[in-house]
Amino acid sequence: MRILLSIPMILIILTIVFFVLRVLPGNPVLAMLGPKAPPEIIHAMEHQMGLDKPIIVQYFIYLSHIAVGNFGTSSYTSLPVLQELLQKFPATFELTFYSMIIAVFIGIFLGSYAAYNFGKPMDIFARVYSIFVYSFPVFWFGIMLQLIFGVWLHWLPVSGRSAPFMIPNHIYTGVYTLDAILNGQWDVLTDAIKHLVLPSFTLGVVISSIFVRMVRSNVLLSLSSQYVTAARARGESEKKILFKHALKNSMPPILTIMGLQFALLLAGAILTETTFSWPGIGNYLITRISYRDFPAIQGAIVFFAFFVAVISILVDIVNAWIDPRIRY
Amino acid sequence: MLSEKIGKNIKQLVGDSSGIMFLVGLFLLIIFVIMAVFAPYLAPYSPIKPTGAPLLHPQASHLMGTDNLGYDVFSRVIFGSRMAFSIAAIATVVAAAIGIPTGLIVGYIGGKLDSVITMIMDSVYTFPGLILAIAIAAMLGQGLINISLSIAVVYIPTYYRVIRSQVVTIKSELYVEGARAIGAKSPTILSKYVLPNVLPSTIVVLSMNIADAIMTEAGLSFLGLGIAPPTPDWGYDLSKGQQFILQNDWWLVVFPGLAIILIVLGFSMFSEGLNEYLNPNIGEKR
Repeated sequence: MRILLSIPMILIILTIVFFVLRVLPGNPVLAMLGPKAPPEIIHAMEHQMGLDKPIIVQYFIYLSHIAVGNFGTSSYTSLPVLQELLQKFPATFELTFYSMIIAVFIGIFLGSYAAYNFGKPMDIFARVYSIFVYSFPVFWFGIMLQLIFGVWLHWLPVSGRSAPFMIPNHIYTGVYTLDAILNGQWDVLTDAIKHLVLPSFTLGVVISSIFVRMVRSNVLLSLSSQYVTAARARGESEKKILFKHALKNSMPPILTIMGLQFALLLAGAILTETTFSWPGIGNYLITRISYRDFPAIQGAIVFFAFFVAVISILVDIVNAWIDPRIRY
Repeated sequence: MLSEKIGKNIKQLVGDSSGIMFLVGLFLLIIFVIMAVFAPYLAPYSPIKPTGAPLLHPQASHLMGTDNLGYDVFSRVIFGSRMAFSIAAIATVVAAAIGIPTGLIVGYIGGKLDSVITMIMDSVYTFPGLILAIAIAAMLGQGLINISLSIAVVYIPTYYRVIRSQVVTIKSELYVEGARAIGAKSPTILSKYVLPNVLPSTIVVLSMNIADAIMTEAGLSFLGLGIAPPTPDWGYDLSKGQQFILQNDWWLVVFPGLAIILIVLGFSMFSEGLNEYLNPNIGEKR
């Protein structure tokens, strides 16, 4: 059911992206060739790109291409855009995956301890933390971490995914930490982790503020419920009460919220990738904008739309699995 | 919305003293407004002229140091508030001017039109706003109006959703049905009975929206999609300052960033306080 609902969402985003990139002022051909290009060449290029057809025909050609995975050809590298995107995707996936883990970890621990110590210093710390972290621009926070841990302390590298030559011998997934383990290259693994720490912390910490708040208010609600009182009456340990009873029962709403934050995570990923020169899709998008590579720009945005849709479906499936009362 | 979450967090922290929160927010905003309005008088130097040696540390003559071109960072931070306010204001007004009437009319008419428009608005709403803004800004190019428009598109659904959901409830209220019964025309009902009831909550959304728009604008200009240099802009200054952090020139990034944080915090606190005052019945929603 939910999968059916996300098809119109993808379609609408595709349509908006198409019309934004085609109808708005600024001729892509002119932008690519420069203002001084001779008219014959412009016409030839327009014909080659199908831009001389009526807009509605172009639209359906574009949709049918997307449907079979044809994202067009980059005007900068002349490679298929989908191929380039798939090559960049593991980097974005790795960054967002570890950021999410960090955010969830901070959210669950800080949130539940804050709820457990309601009104005490720990709770106040958690709340002040969310306020400040929330108002940090992602890129600013990233630059501050670069400054502290890269420049002042010299602990961690401040840009890129790996040191020169520190890439896995054999690429299985493109996720360096995983490939390094599969290859048994521990020096590569250490290097990949070192490069991951600052970007994933930047993004993870900024996203975590929402999680802290969510976990806190949900656990607070569970802690005042009768099953917690019953568990206390049975003499169960406070740790067990907090993590087994209160936290577990607050999971479904927390998970939904986490899934909803995914859009924010992706937007943050673009900024984080730019801040740390992380070679993912966000960085690709921004670089290609400066080259006026329209097929690539369009492809990257469509790719993000698919990503958001897939995640929202996944969240629903996981939710239904955790809470059997939810049925779609 | 981002600023809504910040505001709610602060309110939770201060508890009953949310009046103080409102005042602190107002105070911050007044400072930034004064900065923007009186920038030429407050700034010690021109923001777009070399005023000293490049990359000077913060010192008495240059409170926040100078950048690689010798521009005074303090003056650029002060003038940067103008860019933040103008873009956020234009974006917010455009988004509201499209979102509010659409929500009002579509919500009132209902039916198939409502389902279709709502689905479109929801799709845009769930899509990461910054990415959409990047797409539009990439096509339109740099410039004050272009950036404002790119940001405006992202926030249209916010207004649409707030207004539409209220109109749907209000239009079946007794006083609206009464007005219809005595023969009032739809435009009259909308402007006299529905609009005045939805406007208070819109004012809060408007105020929160400005904070979000400032954040989005900072992001866009950090990515190089904002205003053409050398116009002072916090996001752009940050991205330029980042090139020099490896040589420990921290003042280039710390101060513009703090300006963004403080203005966002100010708007969030102000809006949340305003919300409390204008919509006292609306309890804390999770």
